[in-house]
Amino acid sequence: MLNRDSPARLLPTFVTLLVIGVLLMTIDVRLEGKGVVEVVRSGAQAIIAPLQEAASLLVNPAADMFDSLTHVASLREENIALRAELAEAEADLVAVQDQLALLALLEQLYELDSAGPELGQTVANVIGKVDAAFVVDKGTNDGVVVGQPVIDTNGYVVGTVRTVTSGSATIVPITTGRNGLTVLVNAQVGTLTPQVNTSEMRLLIGDAREPVLQGDRVVTSAGSTSYPAGLPVGVVIADAAPESNSLAATVEPYMNTDTLRLVVILAWPPTPVTAGTDETVVVEATTTTTTEDATSTTTPENEG
Amino acid sequence: MRGRTVLTVVLLLMVAVVVQTTLFGRIPLVTPDLVSLVVIMLCLTRIRPELILAIAFTSGLIVDLLGSSVLGLRAVVFTTVAYLGLRTRDRAEIGRVAVALWAGALTLVGIVLLIVIGTLFGQSSLLGEDTFSRVILVPLANLAIAAAVAPLVVRLVDRDKTAFRYP
Repeated sequence: MLNRDSPARLLPTFVTLLVIGVLLMTIDVRLEGKGVVEVVRSGAQAIIAPLQEAASLLVNPAADMFDSLTHVASLREENIALRAELAEAEADLVAVQDQLALLALLEQLYELDSAGPELGQTVANVIGKVDAAFVVDKGTNDGVVVGQPVIDTNGYVVGTVRTVTSGSATIVPITTGRNGLTVLVNAQVGTLTPQVNTSEMRLLIGDAREPVLQGDRVVTSAGSTSYPAGLPVGVVIADAAPESNSLAATVEPYMNTDTLRLVVILAWPPTPVTAGTDETVVVEATTTTTTEDATSTTTPENEG
Repeated sequence: MRGRTVLTVVLLLMVAVVVQTTLFGRIPLVTPDLVSLVVIMLCLTRIRPELILAIAFTSGLIVDLLGSSVLGLRAVVFTTVAYLGLRTRDRAEIGRVAVALWAGALTLVGIVLLIVIGTLFGQSSLLGEDTFSRVILVPLANLAIAAAVAPLVVRLVDRDKTAFRYP
């Protein structure tokens, strides 16, 4: 049935391709994904992204239905819990609105400007996923650049932009990124690194003064060069005490890449000077319109 | 390789890449590796073996370019899988079950290689949170799909309606 002739050139071809592959891997590791590799990646993504975007229009409804069917048992309970959360959030919102009105009045009385630097946002739809990285439908045309931090719609840290084309971007989540993340836990600065085969991350505090406890919130530190300070990252899942001067603990990130449909890409740092300041950066309010097949965001830059 | 065959192979690979990164990126339970499966199925066709290796390498490179893993990782893995597939393809001729088992076994080799080489190049966490479950689920999914569509793909690429018709 098949041509069983084993050509003499098969093994040399195989070895040649292997050598080329290993060379490419070495070059990519040495260049840390930048330079020529970054350009080639962007080119490949520019070709495939429109197809992914078109396919996601067909795929998303089917995948949503599949999701619903597989989670049908827990949906009712989840709905009840979400309704309770919504009622609580609405009550909180009313309280916050009162405080905001009071704040606005006081600012007006004392002729104060709004405090803190503000960030532009780009809301993007997730249109594809390769390994742990995912592709979104916003690119340089929407102001997205490589290295910008990405959060989910709850404000939790998701990852950073790895490559970008005119109409799409690839995002690497913090749970799989090559670099660690500088974080703050109870006024102690540590590094959060991904672990193999789990979504949990490892927290290392080099100069630990006090223990961290289960439930302690982990937020981005002002020492981070990739994220603005104060963004929620995750929660410590078990108590850990310092040994010598260092402390190691396990952290469960808040974000879940499996359920991500929309992400928010932050235009950070707004200016190079603000990147290293200790102040928590305020994510500005933007006007976002999301329809079945498109999302548009208005930032002050767009508005002029 | 004729123009129509080239077009068929390119289309097959493009569909595999797009479906893999969209549909199967959304459904975590069903996780075949369609691109590697297409490469494995191409080993059963009459395309020249050297060309199949080149196709495998290019396909892997495309997936590497789209993802976050190191460039060349999948290119090496898919090329190795294709080489093993070309060396052992005679064993897949027995019947549909043999084709399925052969495709599943080659996928398993591919996944293990991906993890081993990925770990050597510091890419272990880039492959995802559920690496070890993929070692079992991906070959099983590829096995099932190969049983269903492998003969059809071979007939389509070779344009030979008699290919892989079992008694």
